[in-house]
Amino acid sequence: MAFLQWRRFNFFDKEILKDTESDQVYDKLKDVNISACVSGRGQLIVGDHEGYVYLINKQLSLNMFKAYEIRVSHLYQLKQHNLLVSIGEDEQGINPLIKVWNLDKMEKGGPLCTRISRAIPNNKATPVTCLVVHENLNWMAVGFENGSVMLFKGDVTRDRHNKSRIVHETSRPVTALEFRTQGKNIFLFVVTEASVVSINISGKQDAKNTLEQFGGKLGGVVMSDHNQDNQLVVARPDAVYFYQSDSRGPCLAFEGEKLRLHWFRNYLIVVGKEDKTLPRPVQLGGQTMEMNIVTVYDIQNKFIAYSAPFPDVIDVLSEWGCVYILGGDRKIYQLQEKDTQTKLEMLFKKNNYTLAISLAKSQQYDQEGLIDIFTQYGDHLYSKGDHDGAIDQYIKTIGKLEASYVIRKFLDAQRIHNLTKYLQALHKQQQATEEHTTLLLNCYTKLKDVNKLDEFIMTKDREVDFDVETAIRVCRQAGYFEHALFLAEKHGKHEWYLRIQLEDIKQYQRALQYISKLEFSEAEKNVKRYGKVLMAEVPQETTELLKRLCTDYRPTDKPLVDQNMYDGTVGHIEKAQAENFIHIFVNNSERLTEFLEHMIRVQPNSPSLLYNSLLELYLHDIVHETDSMKKTERVRKTEELLKNPDAKYDLDQAMVLCQMNDFKVGILYLYEKAHLYQQILRYHMEHDDYVNVIETCKKFGQQDSNLWVQALSYFARKEDDCKPQLMEVLSQIDKKNLLPPLLVIQTLAHNSTATLSVVKDYIIRRLQMENDQIAEDERLIKQYREDTDKKRAQIEELKTTAKVFQASKCNICNHPLELPSVHFLCEPHSYHQHCFESYAENDSECPVCAAENRKIMDIIRAQEQSRDLHEQFHNQLQRSQDGFSVVADYFGRGVFNKVTLITDSPARQTSKSPATSRYV
Amino acid sequence: MSYAYLFKYIIIGDTGVGKSCLLLQFTDKRFQPVHDLTIGVEFGARMITIDGKQIKLQIWDTAGQESFRSITRSYYRGAAGALLVYDITRRDTFNHLTTWLEDARQHSNSNMVIMLIGNKSDLEARRDVKKEEGEAFAREHGLIFMETSAKTAANVEEAFINTAKEIYQKIQDGVFDINNEANGIKIGPQHSPSPSLPSSSGGGAQGSGCC
Repeated sequence: MAFLQWRRFNFFDKEILKDTESDQVYDKLKDVNISACVSGRGQLIVGDHEGYVYLINKQLSLNMFKAYEIRVSHLYQLKQHNLLVSIGEDEQGINPLIKVWNLDKMEKGGPLCTRISRAIPNNKATPVTCLVVHENLNWMAVGFENGSVMLFKGDVTRDRHNKSRIVHETSRPVTALEFRTQGKNIFLFVVTEASVVSINISGKQDAKNTLEQFGGKLGGVVMSDHNQDNQLVVARPDAVYFYQSDSRGPCLAFEGEKLRLHWFRNYLIVVGKEDKTLPRPVQLGGQTMEMNIVTVYDIQNKFIAYSAPFPDVIDVLSEWGCVYILGGDRKIYQLQEKDTQTKLEMLFKKNNYTLAISLAKSQQYDQEGLIDIFTQYGDHLYSKGDHDGAIDQYIKTIGKLEASYVIRKFLDAQRIHNLTKYLQALHKQQQATEEHTTLLLNCYTKLKDVNKLDEFIMTKDREVDFDVETAIRVCRQAGYFEHALFLAEKHGKHEWYLRIQLEDIKQYQRALQYISKLEFSEAEKNVKRYGKVLMAEVPQETTELLKRLCTDYRPTDKPLVDQNMYDGTVGHIEKAQAENFIHIFVNNSERLTEFLEHMIRVQPNSPSLLYNSLLELYLHDIVHETDSMKKTERVRKTEELLKNPDAKYDLDQAMVLCQMNDFKVGILYLYEKAHLYQQILRYHMEHDDYVNVIETCKKFGQQDSNLWVQALSYFARKEDDCKPQLMEVLSQIDKKNLLPPLLVIQTLAHNSTATLSVVKDYIIRRLQMENDQIAEDERLIKQYREDTDKKRAQIEELKTTAKVFQASKCNICNHPLELPSVHFLCEPHSYHQHCFESYAENDSECPVCAAENRKIMDIIRAQEQSRDLHEQFHNQLQRSQDGFSVVADYFGRGVFNKVTLITDSPARQTSKSPATSRYV
Repeated sequence: MSYAYLFKYIIIGDTGVGKSCLLLQFTDKRFQPVHDLTIGVEFGARMITIDGKQIKLQIWDTAGQESFRSITRSYYRGAAGALLVYDITRRDTFNHLTTWLEDARQHSNSNMVIMLIGNKSDLEARRDVKKEEGEAFAREHGLIFMETSAKTAANVEEAFINTAKEIYQKIQDGVFDINNEANGIKIGPQHSPSPSLPSSSGGGAQGSGCC
């Protein structure tokens, strides 16, 4: 604390300027009696007491010209124009002359002098103390020892059209003049030994403003650059004071007597007298020279960039990017600023990162370089244990420095605050990855910092700079369900939303509301997924939702036929298929019933599955219902459903269901519907429902007469007394002639209870019928025998006895018969030969009998042919009720004739028959 | 840039009480744990709004070191408000208040609004000066009192703004002669009766011996 000074660095390299050719110390100014120095536009300019002006260029070659006869007192080099303004004397006495030199136009013996004018205020001869020229070449001011300031307005380069006036007069010598342009206003700072005044010279009237009642010495005034707001800097022994055009600015307490001030880049260079404690006089050519201290201050970053003693400094110049100090030993010392990297490294070595950063910034250091510094600084602070400070630095590196590098350092639980801060910044700058989000949220939750979490997540209208899913997941894991929900809702992560609502906070109602807000497809998907849970918790609402989902969600009503025909491909888009949701209703048959009833009511041709399910439900209810009232109601409903012509339940399944649940009415209805009369019958049988057995037989006997037979066998097996039924059945069987009596008897024989009386009537009747039949058959047999005998006799007669043809008329033309004539044995028939020939088809047949004969022949032939058609025989045999008669018929046709005929020659045999018939 | 009034402030107090940090917190809203010693007088500015009026605060931050006292004294003049700062963790800084106050009263105009500030209120554990003591001192000398923390920014805004409010009130009450810049108050360009003719006021200022 005792050091009342800024930190000290060595940012400049000192070097004695050497001649480039001889490599010797530059000494061309050795004998020059220097009166004024100035620099700019690529050269150093020195004036001397002999009236010469020396121009030194970069190559250090020296040019000189005679500017004044006697001496040069002041020089001013314009920065934007290659003009040199000088004041000096051409004749003895106090008679200063202003000369303006155009350095671009070099003539013989020197540059072109464009102007020569006198500088005498109010005709009072007084030495010039200072000179300043405005860069716009329109203003020039000259200060005098007597305290007056003369202002020239007009083209600086020419004498003509110039107006000069005295703008300031005091009793003390003027020590410095500076112009300052501020917008449209031009100020002239006048520093005397006793005051600092600013004068606005651009207005119609000069506006003077005394800024300070202290002044400055010659050389102790300089203008700062724009980084320091172009302030006027005035050196006084206690401090260096800054001035604005209108007021005093800050001050820097650099103690010590100051000889000269110079501004280089952003540095203030102060040439001061050395402390008395260190008297180090230098002997040079017999002359004792005082040592001066040159100190370079960085005003902005507040440090001393360089400080070293120089012998009796004449002036400080800056050119070619370096500072040149003109020493009393006539040597030129060059101060070369070190490059930024070197400076930074020096600062790093001293761990002076704060300064390094501000230095780098003021030197327009690039972003990467800065980040490098931040990183180093962060590392440094971290190693020192200043984690808060370190994280601040690391935050500045976001975007360039690998985030994991920082995060790893702060993963310790005790540094979670720092880590949080870093991660927050990371998110703010949109640099965060999923892992970062996770980590940050974990930090929040670890810290139980709900406010921050709120801010991070709940802030509306904020750009999302994190991965939403990750955030939801982490919030959820940590138990911050509200946050997770908020996120999920905001970003449409329906699945997450519902999962949290349902699995974590069990807000089923809200979940349901949420689903109902969703688009159809989303809603459907989610209901499918979460329906079960919802159903378990909020059945009422869920059912309502499902109803809507399966009906109202559909905007346009399509023809219902389409729905089934295209298997939902069209309707699927807008309307959920109810059957997909049935499984949701597990364990809640009541709701399912409600749902299905609704669906069926609204869409009568819903898929069969719905009906099946509903049916199943009904049946289940019936079974488990204890209240008889309700049970009846149920039964009624079930019947209704079954009998509903629209109901598309699956018949088989329905049957199975009814049977499983022992729903009698349903079973019977279904059998009937399916035409399974046998089943109905059997059902009744199983239940020993005699009345109904009979009823069924009566009802469906028409369609299936077998029923009766079954009924018979059923009753026959019955142990109980069921005479009436048996009687009934028997009478029916009898009536319809369904069973051979033998079988009936056989059937009944099984029954131990069936007494003779039951079957007596039946048997008697049957036997009677049999007897009648036998009698009839016998009569027929007898008749046929007789016929056969008759024929045989006839044949015999034809064979053995002669036949007398007595016919007198021709059987064709009915005219009396005359020769030649043809006689046949058959009737006998007789014909005229010409009649016979024209009439008969062939000559071996009687034309009259031919038709009859042929008929018989055809029958025989047909019998013979069909005899070989075994298939037909089998068919007939099977189909026929009385197989025996069929077989008998076939015997009649000579089924077995063939066997006898095979041995003989069949061809001849057959050919014979027409021949014989000829004579028949 | 346009303002209705410009108030000049000065911050005074022993070295190391946190004057520069208060200023930095007020103007830049940041805190620098390691701050170099102020050499001389530094300068900061910020716009605030009081009563719907834009007011520019121009704040002079002075070095607290005894050796700079002569330099800093010259800055007392032309200040409308002063922040007299002590460190609540160091009693000696509190004990020196009387000297500072005398200095300020002697070198500034009598209407200057002085606010007493006990800084470093974040270091409660190391407190050496009770808040009540500060309050009592302020009451005794007719100062406004506040405890602040330049580190946490607690009450920093309030300290500067309350002072400005007090000054503003005094202007409303006619206590300050606003045309005399030596009072540390300047009327903004748009309030100036004749902004195109600053020469007249400049001449007046010169005559009254401003600064």
